Amino acid sequence: MMSYADLLHFTLPEIVVAVAGLLALTLDITVLRKSPLSNRLRSAVIVALIGCVLAIHFLTRAPHSYGLPDGMFVMTPLTHIVQIALLVLAIFTALLARSTTFTGHIGEYIALILFATVAMMFLVATQNLLLIFVALEFLSLSLYILTGFDKQSRQSAEAALKYFLFGGMSAGFLLFGISLLYGLSGSIELTKIAAALSGPTLDPLLLVAIVMVTIGFGFKVAAAPFHLWAPDAYQGAPTVSAGFIASSSKVASFFVFAQVATIALAGATGGGAFHGYSPGWVPVLAIVAALSMILGNLAAIAQTSLRRLLAYSAIGHAGYMLLGLIAHTQQSLSALVYYVITYALASLGAFGVLGALESEGIDRIADLRGLSRRAPGLSFCLLVFLLSLAGIPPLAGFFGKFYIFSAALSAEPHLGLLWLVLLAVAMSAVSLYYYLRVLKQAYVAESPVREPALRIALLTRLTLWTLAALVVLLGCFPGVLLGWIGLG
Amino acid sequence: MTQNAVPSVSWIVRNLWLIPVLPMLAAGIGALLKAAQRRLAATLAIGSMSISLVLALIAFADALSHPVVQIVNFHWMQFGDQWLSLGWLLDPLAAVMLVMVSFVGLLIFIYSVGYMAHDDNFTRFFCFLSLFAGAMLGVVIANSLLLLFMCWEVVGLTSYLLIGFWYHRPAAAAAAKKAFVTTRVGDLGLLLGMVWLYAQSGTLLFYNHGAGCLEQGAVAALAAHVTIGGMAVSTAIGLLVFCGAAGKSGQLPLHVWLPDAMEGPTPVSALIHAATMVAAGVYLIARVYPLMSAQALAVVAWVGAITALFAACIAVAQNDIKRILAYSTVSQLGYMMLGLGVGGVAVGIFHLITHAFFKSLLFLGAGSVIHGCTEEQDIRNMGGLRRFMPITFLTYAAGMLALCGFPLFAGFWSKDAILHAAHGWGLSRGPFYLGAIGALLTAFYMTRQVYYVFFGERRTPEAAAEAVVSQHHGEECAVADPHESPSVMTWPLILLAIFATFLGFVGTPAWPWFQSFLAGQHVTFSFSGFSEPGLLSLMATSSLIVVTGLLLGWWFYGRKPILHPTDPDALERLQPSLFHALADRLYVDEFYGVTVIALTRFAAAFSAFLDRWIFGGIVQLISWIVTGLGWLDFSADKVLVNGGFDLGCRELFVGGRLFTRLQNGRVQNYLRVIGIALVVLVILLLWGRLG
Repeated sequence: MMSYADLLHFTLPEIVVAVAGLLALTLDITVLRKSPLSNRLRSAVIVALIGCVLAIHFLTRAPHSYGLPDGMFVMTPLTHIVQIALLVLAIFTALLARSTTFTGHIGEYIALILFATVAMMFLVATQNLLLIFVALEFLSLSLYILTGFDKQSRQSAEAALKYFLFGGMSAGFLLFGISLLYGLSGSIELTKIAAALSGPTLDPLLLVAIVMVTIGFGFKVAAAPFHLWAPDAYQGAPTVSAGFIASSSKVASFFVFAQVATIALAGATGGGAFHGYSPGWVPVLAIVAALSMILGNLAAIAQTSLRRLLAYSAIGHAGYMLLGLIAHTQQSLSALVYYVITYALASLGAFGVLGALESEGIDRIADLRGLSRRAPGLSFCLLVFLLSLAGIPPLAGFFGKFYIFSAALSAEPHLGLLWLVLLAVAMSAVSLYYYLRVLKQAYVAESPVREPALRIALLTRLTLWTLAALVVLLGCFPGVLLGWIGLG
Repeated sequence: MTQNAVPSVSWIVRNLWLIPVLPMLAAGIGALLKAAQRRLAATLAIGSMSISLVLALIAFADALSHPVVQIVNFHWMQFGDQWLSLGWLLDPLAAVMLVMVSFVGLLIFIYSVGYMAHDDNFTRFFCFLSLFAGAMLGVVIANSLLLLFMCWEVVGLTSYLLIGFWYHRPAAAAAAKKAFVTTRVGDLGLLLGMVWLYAQSGTLLFYNHGAGCLEQGAVAALAAHVTIGGMAVSTAIGLLVFCGAAGKSGQLPLHVWLPDAMEGPTPVSALIHAATMVAAGVYLIARVYPLMSAQALAVVAWVGAITALFAACIAVAQNDIKRILAYSTVSQLGYMMLGLGVGGVAVGIFHLITHAFFKSLLFLGAGSVIHGCTEEQDIRNMGGLRRFMPITFLTYAAGMLALCGFPLFAGFWSKDAILHAAHGWGLSRGPFYLGAIGALLTAFYMTRQVYYVFFGERRTPEAAAEAVVSQHHGEECAVADPHESPSVMTWPLILLAIFATFLGFVGTPAWPWFQSFLAGQHVTFSFSGFSEPGLLSLMATSSLIVVTGLLLGWWFYGRKPILHPTDPDALERLQPSLFHALADRLYVDEFYGVTVIALTRFAAAFSAFLDRWIFGGIVQLISWIVTGLGWLDFSADKVLVNGGFDLGCRELFVGGRLFTRLQNGRVQNYLRVIGIALVVLVILLLWGRLG
């Protein structure tokens, strides 16, 4: 029997973060009501930091694995790592938010980031479809508000509305898919669903359910063709929100997607090999992955706005990451976790650089001319993040790609996924082009007029440097993270 | 030598590696210094060397109390299932060498501060010197032929760098190259010997608790093995190792590089080409002595004896102050080899140690003379320096007497031990006679040199021309009188002179402390050592030989003062053709010029011909074919592939645009896409299920 004491004990990290969110909110609207903006920001960020660090502390002290009945709460060493990664990303997001100026509602903004983090922590820690859906909606609602937080900007509002409409629609599909699964199996617990569905033939309804679940999660991870919200949302949203959506929510969504697909639908994998096609979720995802890689990378070439470029490249990356899910071996799933965490770091860093640049009025790629002279440190950080995204050794992105591709190649049937890997490698080459185009502007192109050096807040610089250092270190010593994940 | 059975070794043995590493570290830091940081560079070098000397003295004290082989081995790297081990050792031989190298090295470092004071590349000089000292100390303590070889090669490299230190002088650059190439010929032999040894015994460690290649088991196995021509493997390996030693120690026929090496700065000549590096070959033979069979030792003895006499002959007719000393070094190295060959480790090494002191003294004295005479090296242009440089003269005289083997000086005892051993050698008396004649010549040429340099009146080319240009006041100032060197240079001289005079008393027949120490035995003082049959008469004979040599020298050069630099040599007047042959170094270089070098040139020209016309022709032909194909390909490429690629790129770009157009901003369209995707995917799956 489950006792409430157990419940409180197990969810202590989540509770701490949630309380920190509430505290930030309360402090902001009571004690600090009349204080200057900078002070309110500082105290909110400090509360958030304390909450996240405490939560990480509790997570590291928690027992190895534990859980609640019905798959409601399942903690494994891997979940610990992912939750810690989410908290670390939340810390970086909060630090980057320290220098925002677009809003006066500081408490709400920080609280929403923390609430979204709580939602993601629950999302990765549950194997119960109902709880998954609830956590997913909690996360989505927080993200919608974060997207539309810039009340002065029409773009922000438009992006939030599009995101919301698209999200609501796909949530509907997901719920429909979940209800079909429940109808077929009579359970909402992933392992029991798997047991109920294990049969020699596939029910046509199950196939429909698979497609619907794929739509729901495909929306969350921004995979084509469910990606259409992403470029608009990334462009319209405040930069910190966009970075948060691109990093943290990716990590959580991929993790839960992988859990649903590999646990609940273990009996309906199907075949995605070039000649070994058989219905299941693998071929669906293979199509989605191929589409994402092609569409994301090609569309990124044509972009002139940095944010849209990052949005399309995120779609391409979702394609690579799906490759790890499609292979669904122990190794490829670990590689997926490594990839998504390192991707999140680089992506958050890139958005952080964008945020710092945007406060100076730089948004288009062409505006980056002569950046290496105006802000050498910032341009170097940008270089590290973009090259990591492009997968250049020895940065973390290279090893992520390497592990995912090699795991996909070694998955059964042997070399069955070669076509997807080849496509992924070819598209990586294409991606190098647009990343280098950005860096060329920053490093090679000369500015026609001599512009003054950029003034970036010290905290932002430190945060970006730390992120860049993490990307380099995880690339130089991939064994550390891999060892935690269980691949090394 | 006895094997150390105690596994726990003392502190100094465990940290013996510090002795070579400290100067190397100083060299590493010195390499990073700016040229202007002269004081820092010298401080680093001298400081590290002083610490090394202190550690060497501690090690020496340790070896005194435990006169056995103490080793520390460690794994270096693995290939296959075998570990390659390296290590260091401390035994009386290594301890003696450590103290000698670090002490002489330190004195020469100090001397160099004065000698190189005006050189622009002072910092670089000390960097090289430190590197050399580190590598040389490494050679001494190596407990593995491989480690020894590595340090040996570094020693060779620094020798090259230091000979060519004034690389802007063509002669120095050529001498450096010559030294490097010639010693490489010997090193090839050493390398082959090393490989063979490894193949036979499976280890390159000298001592390894019974499993080393110099220990009973391996040596017996090597001696039992017979190879080409009925020669024992140990003999063959010993001879190959001796090739390396001969190259480094300037033994015939690989001695040609050593006199040329005098192009380097004089402290370098003293440190590397008199006291330490050239002794490395002798040390190597002493180190692998258990491996050397009787046949190999016979070869060593004969080569040494011939070298001793041969070089002494040439030294008689040289006019360059340093060249005379260089040939004298070659000759003395020959004596050491002779000592090793006929008498054993102690005999050869005793001479090595005494020689290191008096020869570095002589070189530093020569350096002092050169320094005082504004870079003059020709002894015919000197003369009368006794009055200008009294300290240099007195210390030089001490060194000279020690070298000649004048009774009671250091060289007397060590050289006498060699001659005594050669006299008692069972195989032949030949080496003894060669050595005895060599000793006579040694006394003769040293007397000649001292008379030329220090006695008589001052002779300079300028002095001869003085009558003509006496009106030119400025000219007269330039021809300043020779001056005594600064105290930073004279103090090392004095210290070395004390050692050159008295060091021999540690190894007299009455109190053979040195020999017993090396052998790990206890020593007692007793005059009965002299009563060994034939010893006293031999000593008398050799003293007589030395005195004869000195008197002959006086007869030729001291009786009538040499007045003019262009005057022919006294010996030249007597025997012009012989003198010229000797002055031209018995045409060894010319002989190599028309044989080895000409052959190499021919081979090079032939290879160039092959390369240019035969291989080059084939390559050219292939290149034409490829170029033709290339043209063909190019035209195809331009039209088909390039056009295609451009088209492809354009398509990619257009595709990107197309996908962007999908993103038209209308949410209703976005949602439609989801619907379409749903339908398409479900149909696809169902169709796959049916099909």
